[in-house]
Amino acid sequence: MFTDPAIATSDSRQHRRSVLYSLGAGLGSIAFSALLAKEQRLFGAQSVNDKLKPHFPNAKAKRCIFLMMEGGPSHIDTFDPKPALKKFHLQEFVREGAQKSAMESGKRYYVESPFRFIKAGQSGADMAENWIHLAKVADELCFFRGCQVDSVNHPTAMYQMNCGNRFGGDPAIGSWVTYGLGAENEDLPGYIVLPEVSYPQGGAANWGNGFLPASHQGTPLRAKGSPILDLSPPPGVAPEHQRKGLDLLRVLNDKHSREHPWHDELSARMQNYELAFRMQMQVPDALDISGETESTRLAYGIGRPETDAFGRKCLLARKLIEKGVRFVQLYQGSWDSHDYLARAHSSLVRSVDQPIAQLIIDLKQRGLLEETLVVWCGEFGRTPDNGVRGGIAYGRDHNPKAMTIWLAGGGCNAGATVGATDELGMTAIEDVHHVRDFHVTLLRLLGLDDNRLTYYHAGRFKQLSQFGGESIAKLIAS
Amino acid sequence: MQTQSIPTTLSSVLRASLFCFALTCSCIAGTSGNFAIAQIDAERVFAAKVEPILTSKCLSCHGEEATKREGGFSVSNRESLVQGGDSGQPSIISGSGLSSPLVLAISRTHDAWSAMPPKESERLNPEEINAIVKWIDAGAPWLDSERMKKIREQMSAETETNDLEATVSLHTSGGTSQSWSNRLYKRSDVWAYQPLSRPTIAQDGPKAIDELIALRMPQGLEQAPAAKASDFIRRATLDLTGLPPTAQEIEVFEHQYLVDPDKSVSTLVDRLLASPHYGERMAQHWLDVVRYADSSGLANDYERGNAWRYRDYVIRSFNTDKPFDQFATEQIAGDEIDPANPEFLIATGFLRMGPWELTGMEVPKVARQRFLDDVTNSVGETFLGHSLQCARCHDHKFDPIPTRDYYSMQAVFATTQFAEREAPFLDWENQSGFDEARFLSRREEDYIATLERLNAIQIEAAEEWFRKEKLPSDDWHRELARLSKLPPSDSAEQTKGRVDTFAKARESLRKKGSGEEHVPPVHIGFGPQEHGHYRLAKKGLERIRWQQDRYLPLAFSVYSGPTPNRKNMLAPPRMPKNPEANAELEQTSILAGGDPFSPAAQVTPGFLSVVSDLGVSMPDSMAGRRTALAQWIVHPANPLTVRVLANRIWMWHFGDAIAGNPNNFGATGKKPTHPELLDWLASKLISNRWSIKSMHRLIMNSQAYRRSCQHPKPSKLLELDPNRSSYAAFKPRRLTAEELRDATLLSTGELNLAIGGIPCRPEINLEAAMQPRQVMGTFAEAWVPNALPHHRNRRSIYTLRLRGIVDPSQEVFNAPAADFSCERRETTLITPQIYSLFHSRQSYLRSLQLARRALGDGSESNHSIVDRLFLFALGRTPDDAERHAAIEHWQNMEKVRALEPIQLEGQPLVIRREAVEENTGEKFQFDEKLYENEEFVADVDIKSCDARTMALAEVALVLFNSNEFIYVY
Repeated sequence: MFTDPAIATSDSRQHRRSVLYSLGAGLGSIAFSALLAKEQRLFGAQSVNDKLKPHFPNAKAKRCIFLMMEGGPSHIDTFDPKPALKKFHLQEFVREGAQKSAMESGKRYYVESPFRFIKAGQSGADMAENWIHLAKVADELCFFRGCQVDSVNHPTAMYQMNCGNRFGGDPAIGSWVTYGLGAENEDLPGYIVLPEVSYPQGGAANWGNGFLPASHQGTPLRAKGSPILDLSPPPGVAPEHQRKGLDLLRVLNDKHSREHPWHDELSARMQNYELAFRMQMQVPDALDISGETESTRLAYGIGRPETDAFGRKCLLARKLIEKGVRFVQLYQGSWDSHDYLARAHSSLVRSVDQPIAQLIIDLKQRGLLEETLVVWCGEFGRTPDNGVRGGIAYGRDHNPKAMTIWLAGGGCNAGATVGATDELGMTAIEDVHHVRDFHVTLLRLLGLDDNRLTYYHAGRFKQLSQFGGESIAKLIAS
Repeated sequence: MQTQSIPTTLSSVLRASLFCFALTCSCIAGTSGNFAIAQIDAERVFAAKVEPILTSKCLSCHGEEATKREGGFSVSNRESLVQGGDSGQPSIISGSGLSSPLVLAISRTHDAWSAMPPKESERLNPEEINAIVKWIDAGAPWLDSERMKKIREQMSAETETNDLEATVSLHTSGGTSQSWSNRLYKRSDVWAYQPLSRPTIAQDGPKAIDELIALRMPQGLEQAPAAKASDFIRRATLDLTGLPPTAQEIEVFEHQYLVDPDKSVSTLVDRLLASPHYGERMAQHWLDVVRYADSSGLANDYERGNAWRYRDYVIRSFNTDKPFDQFATEQIAGDEIDPANPEFLIATGFLRMGPWELTGMEVPKVARQRFLDDVTNSVGETFLGHSLQCARCHDHKFDPIPTRDYYSMQAVFATTQFAEREAPFLDWENQSGFDEARFLSRREEDYIATLERLNAIQIEAAEEWFRKEKLPSDDWHRELARLSKLPPSDSAEQTKGRVDTFAKARESLRKKGSGEEHVPPVHIGFGPQEHGHYRLAKKGLERIRWQQDRYLPLAFSVYSGPTPNRKNMLAPPRMPKNPEANAELEQTSILAGGDPFSPAAQVTPGFLSVVSDLGVSMPDSMAGRRTALAQWIVHPANPLTVRVLANRIWMWHFGDAIAGNPNNFGATGKKPTHPELLDWLASKLISNRWSIKSMHRLIMNSQAYRRSCQHPKPSKLLELDPNRSSYAAFKPRRLTAEELRDATLLSTGELNLAIGGIPCRPEINLEAAMQPRQVMGTFAEAWVPNALPHHRNRRSIYTLRLRGIVDPSQEVFNAPAADFSCERRETTLITPQIYSLFHSRQSYLRSLQLARRALGDGSESNHSIVDRLFLFALGRTPDDAERHAAIEHWQNMEKVRALEPIQLEGQPLVIRREAVEENTGEKFQFDEKLYENEEFVADVDIKSCDARTMALAEVALVLFNSNEFIYVY
């Protein structure tokens, strides 16, 4: 009569995956996830890499490139001009109240934006004029100024933007998306992260699978060194030597299996060795961008010191998407410009402007933009005023109440600017939505229903939005 | 009954269950046909089913208040249900359940009515839909709260105590609504609050366990015979010590087993329980639950220098078989009970184990609330088998835990404050290796030198600035001269003053009234490089202050008092001289939505009210609250604590717990498969004065524990016991991450078996060790292993556990992250495990060491060398085929290695790092010096290994990767 909640779910994903409970979920931060898929076949379970049907079959986006600007870019100095700040420039302003943090106490000064703004594209999108390249694709972008988050602190805000939960430990958006849609290429992970050389605050939990099966974990392809830890054996150990070792391993394992014929994990584990052996040669190929033409590389800014790093990431993202990777998240930071706003933001914008614009152009030329949702955001926005940390107030503080996010492709409402912040950019006042609604909308664009994309864990069904939210219709093309 | 009128749109599933329901109801009502009885019947359905559904699944969006009335529709009373919402149609049509729009919506079958509730995970099951249909059919009677209470009491009284499907009402301190307080629970969901049952059984001791297991054995299912002696000793030794038996131990046991199986088993168990490694193994289980780590996590991930003393306290407690009631009490209230006893202060480290920090960026009250929520939940999960956090924002949805109880429990901790308290080292604490502090000192000197250098740059730039601005600089120079004459001192504050004369001079001129435009700008002379180095040095000094605590006689502890007003916590907190000064006594209130700025009704400290009054009184005073809570938790009549412990101990042996979610005994946790056994074990725990070792003896001497993994009829087992919960055969398991590392080091002879002490730092994957790691505003230092092999090759439980950096080789084998309580280890099979075990430098090092150990002086025959290799790794010699294959591989590889030796990287002395500086957004570089690596002694000097050794290492590598090495039967 009473149904076990672990089984009483309506979503087919849960049924098909119930076997996976026995395999366990919740591994930390290393898994090279796609490889698991084949192992699950060995166990007779449904492969995670099978394409699953989206909840909303008409959704356009099939995959997502998520550009994470870590540190909190200033909306006021990028896409949300606040001319009114001019008249308050360097005027003092004292914040009070029980909820203030030590950071907020003391004297503060308003700061005007050091950037001039333009109206870009036919849509007349607001952009700081140093977005020279992005301005050319302005009409592909859909700006959202209504998002609010809960945390003023980097790691907790990062967790919330990436995983829905401020305190970390929950699955990242990419994990939910691969869980919901599966991956299209079973030789590559469905969710790939291209971090900076140094991981963001909060570390690998920003792309953790949380309670979802380990196969949904984001696979960081490290910016330097071995893309996956220990992918290759030490120098001096060649594949043919390993082959011999595996042959000996088989002799031992065969004998052991004869003694334990009912223990089915044994053969799965042996086959896992064979799989790993093949994969270690295939992965480096997938990451190689040397085959791209010189003009492509130049267009992404590869080879120029200021744009090289992010240009490579954007090009690789496009390649991975083409190969059927479902979710690619790129990190760039830190945008935490408490001081020297003009210099810091100029340099950051310069490093991403051309690569991002080229990514959008390239996706469009290849007919991929419509199916690929591109997201640009940070973990929060910044304040119109600043503390005297630098002795001069030419920087900005963290601001969870206002930020700019933009979308491109994937069925978003290109050309629109949704929501608005107040005169000084302190708080969102129109189309105000908690970040959970933004998450629901992202899933919606990708054909997934947050209320149906659930997983039973620790006594309840959990979902990306935590407790449910609403889809923001204005961000979706009608 | 109106089951005849089902329209064809409803599924056959629904139809079938409607029929079942009709039968059930007529049973409750006793007779049928009489209208009055039918009316009472419908009222009962309303009380038992309909009202709880409306309340829990509909009311939050369709409440009485206008703001909560989505679609203009409310389910808060009968009138509004009849009236319906914006559609203008009534939602219920009395007498016609199946055509009522409410039913069309909840059955999700009708296009015109949106599926309700919108979340798929909350959709109603056929039984629930059924109840609503039936209730509407019978005229949808509504009950006022008095009538509701009466009916529920009646129903509760009528139920048979052994009927698990029956519903019962439970008394609690009361929810935020009358309907919550009056709600009914399925008996099977509230099993954990019932007093322990005393099953009538014929036998005692280990045989009782077998009798109780037989009680639930599927009919016709055979039980597996006893395990082979060699399998059993491996199972028992790993279970109790986390280490595999040596070849010699296996051989001795096999002989003893032949003579007298029962006696040899009990002797073995006693021997293992007396081993000092027993405590290490049990402590690992406990540390999983309490989320042990040596750092704070979050933005700064500061080290918790003294946490290791808590880890060792746990090991000691298990080794001395400290009664669990005492063990629990010390951890919850040790500081209140005997603050003069260092052991008791150390024990309370438990309360602070969760991730926590207070940075200047955060609102202090929010951070404090995070601690309170964390500790309340942790005590609930650890001791009571309840994740209490669900009751933080509302009365618990499934369990009889009102939000009031949550905050009453939380009020117990409202006077719990953090302090690293003085606690002299005890004789039995391992105090070796403290001289490693010298490496910290060298880093500290570096940072100070950096700050001095940067200070000089700024002072010089300031001169230039005064010249350029044509401003008078006399005051400035006077101030600088005064500051430079201050005597040097050891204190961190003064050191900082010495290297920060620029900032100090600036500050004092500003204080004397100089305007910002009359003093040099704060960052004068700084480019990206200087900014980056400045932050690194500042934060580095801060971090060292936490690390230096490792070597001081301090306990990571708490005291009872008012909450200090703190804006941040940048150094380990010490015991305040006057705890009352600049502090505020917290008054706990129920927090609406869990928000610390929305206090509602005040509460006093208390317990979970669903557990009947145990006669423990809770003081309202500053101190003593936790003592009372501990008394209540370990009270022998508290049915939760003792069941939770018995359940955990069982799982530590069988891999599965009797109640499958050891941290969750509530309605959503798995129900006990063998409730009689669980209660019997729990009773035994109490009659054995909470002795955990006595429980191991009981369990491990049972037939159930001694059974083979090989069932005589595997297909029958699969058929009759698909969930594998019968214990008809033992379940094999994989080694845990820690066991895998320890077993490998043990086989090579490298494992340092010393007990306790400051955390050790093994070599981990070099790229992971050097991975730059952001901490607030700058970068944390790299993972540097201990310089000497015997310092770093210690048991895994002694490894420094930083939340911000994990050993990938442990993580891939499911070592849990320390953010959440781990009630049970997962065992996944993923490909990175293979890269770690088959490719890593660490694996090659161990393989070389095993080869060297087996080779000895190399004078013996290949045959006996390979035999020894197997003996060390697997505890047995190879058969002919294995030996032949191993020797062949060895000889083949020797030819290869003679031409092409294996190369293994060494430890670096300096890392050149490049990062984006956050002030400027521009790149800067710095060199991180790894001083300890200057004295690094490699486990094995690879250059001294000849081709023969390297080739044998390849055989050793295969042994470490074999299934036999990693599975336990």
